[in-house]
Amino acid sequence: MSLVECRGISKNYKLGETLVPALSDVSINIEKGEFVAVWGPSGSGKTSLLNLVGLLDTPSAGQLKIAGETISTQDDSSLAVLRNKLIGFVFQNFNLIAVLSALENVMLPLQIRGESPAQARDKAVSKLDAVGLATLYKSRPDQMSGGQRQRVAIARALVTDPAIVLADEPTANLDSVTSDQILALMRDLNQKQNVTFVFSTHDPRLLASVSRKIRLQDGQITPEENS
Amino acid sequence: MFYITIGFRNILKHWRRSLFTATAVGAGFSAISLFAGYIHYVYYGLTLQAVRGEGLAHLTIARHGFFDNASLNPEDNLLSNEDVTHLGELLNKQPETVTWTPRLAVSGLMTNGHTSTIFIAEGMDPLREALIRGRFRLDRGGILDPKFPNGICVSSGLAKLLNLTPSSRATLFTNTSTGQANAIDVDVHSTYDTGVAATNDKSLRIPIDMARRLYDVEGADRIRLLLKDESQVEPVRTRLTALFKTENLALDIRDWKQLSAFYRQVKSLFDTIFSFIFSIVAIVVIMSVVNTMSMTVVERTREIGTLRALGMKRGQIIALFSVESLLLAAVGVSVGAVITLMVAFIVNSLGLSYVPPSSSDRVPLMVDILPGTMVLTFFLLAFLTSLAALFPASGASRKGIVDALGHV
Repeated sequence: MSLVECRGISKNYKLGETLVPALSDVSINIEKGEFVAVWGPSGSGKTSLLNLVGLLDTPSAGQLKIAGETISTQDDSSLAVLRNKLIGFVFQNFNLIAVLSALENVMLPLQIRGESPAQARDKAVSKLDAVGLATLYKSRPDQMSGGQRQRVAIARALVTDPAIVLADEPTANLDSVTSDQILALMRDLNQKQNVTFVFSTHDPRLLASVSRKIRLQDGQITPEENS
Repeated sequence: MFYITIGFRNILKHWRRSLFTATAVGAGFSAISLFAGYIHYVYYGLTLQAVRGEGLAHLTIARHGFFDNASLNPEDNLLSNEDVTHLGELLNKQPETVTWTPRLAVSGLMTNGHTSTIFIAEGMDPLREALIRGRFRLDRGGILDPKFPNGICVSSGLAKLLNLTPSSRATLFTNTSTGQANAIDVDVHSTYDTGVAATNDKSLRIPIDMARRLYDVEGADRIRLLLKDESQVEPVRTRLTALFKTENLALDIRDWKQLSAFYRQVKSLFDTIFSFIFSIVAIVVIMSVVNTMSMTVVERTREIGTLRALGMKRGQIIALFSVESLLLAAVGVSVGAVITLMVAFIVNSLGLSYVPPSSSDRVPLMVDILPGTMVLTFFLLAFLTSLAALFPASGASRKGIVDALGHV
C-alpha cells in the first residue's frame, strides 16, 4: 500500500461562470520515505496537487487515499483530525503564529490534538533541538531570521511524527545559503528518520537534490516524470 | 490553555483597539452596576418608608371584602374587640412576629375654628406603633404619646393649611357608623412628614380610642403585623391563610407591596429604566465587540488557515475567538468594577441629596455596592461578548483553508 494514492484526480475552480481546470486526471503514488519534488511552470497545478494531498482541499473527481484512509468519505471534522495526525506542513511564508514563541509554535499541533502541555513541551523541545534551534525556544517569529523561522516551521511539521511532510516552495523566501541549510536539514531528516517529503518548487538546487520529480503542465503529469 | 495564551497575547498586541473595546465594556458594566446600586438603595429606602414610615408593617389582616369596598361600608368590615384579641393570640404564636397592632381609619373635616379641610386619620395604638416605626420615629416625628389621650399628630402639609403648631387646638368632625354627626376637640401633639406629597396635606395620626369614639364603634378595621424580616412575608402569609381557613375566619391578608401603590409605581418605573439602560449597554457592547472581533478575524485570516491546516476543527476556531472575546470582556469588566467602586465611594462620600418626584422630603443620593449583581452582570456581558464573537468567528471557520492561507 502506497502512502499517497491518487487515482484520476481532477480539480476545477469556478471563476465567475467559467470552470477552470487546475488538475486533470492525475494519478500518482508516493511511497513511504520518498523525497519528492512536484515542479512545473506557474499555473501548472503544483500547489493544487499539494493542497489535495494535504487535505486542505477536496478533489472535484477521482479517488485519493492517504495512509490507507479514503479521503472522499471524510467530513470536515475528520479531515482536520487526519491533517493533524498524518500531515506536516511547511509553508513558503513560514506561517508561524506571531504571538507565540518558537517552542509554543512547535507545541501547537500537539495541543490541538489534546496532548498535555508538559508532553507537548517535551516533544517540541526535542524537535527544536533536532533542527538546531536549541537556544531560541523563547524567541518570537519577529525576533528570528527567515532561516530560523523555516526551521521552526519544519520542527512544527515534524512534531506530530506525520506520515508525510508537504512543503510548498520552502526555499522561495530564503537566501541561497539559508536555502542550502534548510535543504540539507530536510534531506538529513529524510535519510536518517525516513520522513517522507513532498515539495512544490522552482528551485533548481532543490530539484537537483530530490530522489523523484513529478512534472506538471496544464494540470497533468508529463512523461518527463523520473525517479 | 493555549487558547487563553493566544487570545491574551493578541489582546496585548493590538492594545489600542483592545483598550477601546474594553473601555466600552467597562463603561457599560459600570453604568449597569452603578444604576443597579442606586435603585437598590432607592428600593431599600422605599421599603423602609412604606413598612416603617407609613406604618404599613409587613402584613395587613382585615375582614374579607375590606380591601375592596371599605370606603363604602366601613362598619360592615370591622373586627370586634373579641376578633382582635383572638387574632392577636394567633399572631403572637408565630415565631416571626415582632409586634402587631390594630388600626382604625377615620375621615372627616378638621377645623382650626376659622378654616376647615378634609383629613384622613389612622387610629393606632401609640406604644405598638412606636415599635413599627422603629428609627423612623426619631427622624420623622409623628409619634403619639399615650400620656395624652387627646393628643394627635398632624402631617406637616395639613398643619400648614390650618396654621397649626404643636400645642394648637383643633376640632375633628366625622359621621358615626350610624350616620350621626360627631366632633371631638383635639390637641396638636406634634407634626410629621409622611414622605409622600399626596398624603402630606391630609394625614393625621390619632389614638385608636379617639378613632373609635369618632365612629362610635369598638374594635378595629385592620391589624398590622410586623415581622422580623422581609423575607418572611410569603411563608407567614401562606401559614396564616391556611390557619384562617382552618378556623373558618373570613379574613384577607395583603402585604405591604400590595398596599403601597407608590412603591409599586416607583419600582415599575425604575425597573423599566433599568431594562432600557441594560438594553442600550448590551447593544453598545455587542456592536463594539463584533467590530473588534471582525477586524481581528480579517487580519488573522491566514493564521486561521494555518491553524486549520495544523488540524484545528471549526469549533476550535470559534472557541479560540470566543475565548479572546471573553478575555476582552474580563479586562473591561475589571476596569468597570474599579470605576464602579470609585464612583460609588465618591457619591456616597459627598452626602448628596435630592427631592424625588411625588416626595415631600429630601432623600440621600446613595449607591449600594452589589457584589451579586456585579457578578451576574459580568456573566451576562461575558455571555453577550462570546455571542458577539460567534458571528465573525463562525464566518472565519467556514472559509476555505486554501483561500484563508492565500489571504493577503
